[in-house]
Amino acid sequence: MFKVLLINGLIIGGIYALIALGYSLIYRASGLLTFAQGDLITLGSYLGLTFYKFLGLDFFISFLLTFISAFIFGILLEKGVIRALLNKNVIPIYIVLATIAVSYIIQNSMQALFGTTTIQFPQVFKKGTLTIFGITAQTEAYACLAISLILMLLLHLFMKNTKFGVAMRGAAMDPLAAESCGINTSLTTGVTWGLAAGIASIAGMLLGPMYGVYTVLGSIIGRKGFAGAVIGGYGNMYGAMIGGIILGLIETFVAGYWTGTYKNLIAYAILIIFLFIKPTGIFNEKAIQDV
Amino acid sequence: MKFDKKPNKLILIAGLGLLLFILPFLTKLIVGNQYPLLIMCIIMIYIIAVTGLDILFGYCGQISLGHAAFFTLGAYTTGLLNMYFNLPLFITIPAATVLTSVLGALLAYPASKLKFHFLSLATVAFGEITYYFLYTSPGGFTRDFRGINVVGISFLGEDYLKWYFFLLFFVVLVLLGKTSLIKSRTGRAFTAIRENTHAADGMGINVRKQKIIAFTVSAFLTGLAGALYVHLIKYISPETSMQKQSVLFLTMLLFGGTASIMGTILGVVSIEVLMEAIRFLQEYQMLFYGILLLIVIVALPGGVYGGIKDLIVTIKRKKALKALNVQKAADTGKDGAE
Repeated sequence: MFKVLLINGLIIGGIYALIALGYSLIYRASGLLTFAQGDLITLGSYLGLTFYKFLGLDFFISFLLTFISAFIFGILLEKGVIRALLNKNVIPIYIVLATIAVSYIIQNSMQALFGTTTIQFPQVFKKGTLTIFGITAQTEAYACLAISLILMLLLHLFMKNTKFGVAMRGAAMDPLAAESCGINTSLTTGVTWGLAAGIASIAGMLLGPMYGVYTVLGSIIGRKGFAGAVIGGYGNMYGAMIGGIILGLIETFVAGYWTGTYKNLIAYAILIIFLFIKPTGIFNEKAIQDV
Repeated sequence: MKFDKKPNKLILIAGLGLLLFILPFLTKLIVGNQYPLLIMCIIMIYIIAVTGLDILFGYCGQISLGHAAFFTLGAYTTGLLNMYFNLPLFITIPAATVLTSVLGALLAYPASKLKFHFLSLATVAFGEITYYFLYTSPGGFTRDFRGINVVGISFLGEDYLKWYFFLLFFVVLVLLGKTSLIKSRTGRAFTAIRENTHAADGMGINVRKQKIIAFTVSAFLTGLAGALYVHLIKYISPETSMQKQSVLFLTMLLFGGTASIMGTILGVVSIEVLMEAIRFLQEYQMLFYGILLLIVIVALPGGVYGGIKDLIVTIKRKKALKALNVQKAADTGKDGAE
């Protein structure tokens, strides 16, 4: 029992980690809260579905295309909506509301295009289930875990070792100093949002084979993902990854050992407990102080 | 000059009062059924709810993205108390407001430490916890996803005309209360906290206490709105506490303009009318609503009320400039002649 819960916890934790990553990246880069991440997951799963099922492309190609499409969407979102609002010097709540509006648009346009029934994501691997360390699970589930871990590793390498990644971190830490070093902060912010959108879309595409594709798939997980970001320290990239995995583990274990009915509530309970007791998270991330 | 304005204001209020009095009868006559009356009743209930949000966010600057929780909890409390214990409504409705006020105060205590982003997350969490609690209640006492059917108010029954005046009474009371609150010391403390919390603290305002008061009053009003709502519609389900409803309240507030009486009314009326207007789109209703919302946010960030105020200022400025130019031309003309 423990092993099964452990694997399932890690799998869903990996997804939460990806989402929390998106939140922390955006907060670091723009100092903003976004409610659109959840529905970007949904967008990703539908995009993946379109490429893989309806257009019949190879899984890996669909994967890349989904990422690229979502990446472009993220950049457009940042340039078109967020930057426009920031330039108008509106109070921050409007930007949050704008992201909520975007989430409504994504959710309902997906509903308009694909309907409200759950669409089945075709099986990706020829072998239906896989048994590792004596634990049997859907092959897609193991793939999900593996891909999220690889993605986090790639992101870490990108942020640390590549010139552009370091530039992005610099721009997030101090935009003015970064600009004086010659970093194009406008570009890095756009790329950050695009990256966050891309990560969310991959999470969606990974979820598809496990849960099927439906319109509210992302928003529930997206909202719970906030807890993962807060646990690790909102704005801390590595904290988000660890926080997400912790969240997934706690959720699965509590549901397994205690009660399954309040499963969704656990994430929010953790969120509110952390906010009230330790808002800086386990890594003591001093978030951007705003009055 | 001052004397000119007072009779004008009285005439305006009297005219408005007359309009409000005739309006329901007119709509009933023109349309033939009670539907517009029902919409007007819902508008008035939402005005009370959004007034609650305005006191918390518009005046005190505390963002709440979970306010629908208070609304729904107020509705459930009065409904369940009536359903299980057969308590009369003049007991259950105040009880509902007491519950939501207490919850607001309890939430305020830790939430008063939080700043903008974290506060919004905390309120989102509060809203979601409320939703899941109502959806899967221990022992099913809230009847879970089925929602509860509730009795109407007996002396009002199904007659929305009577409901209209009943609710109008409450709305006027609430708006008068709001006006006196914002003019009082507490209201000014709220505004000070909104503008600069540290400065307010330095001026000797007990920031935490004032925030708790703001939350409590806000929860009271929104809970009251919920309690009235459930007896009008005679049904409530956990769905009303979903984030969608909280966002709707916030949209109404921002759309009309925060921290004003007219703004709240304008916001609620315009959004509700908009929702009804696009209802014919059926499954595309929410999509259209999202697109419209985005366009309005990007194009008109001051809300409709702010936009109108800006327009008035622009017109006045143009008039003043024109007058100044005329004056200038007259002066230079005089000089030239000399």
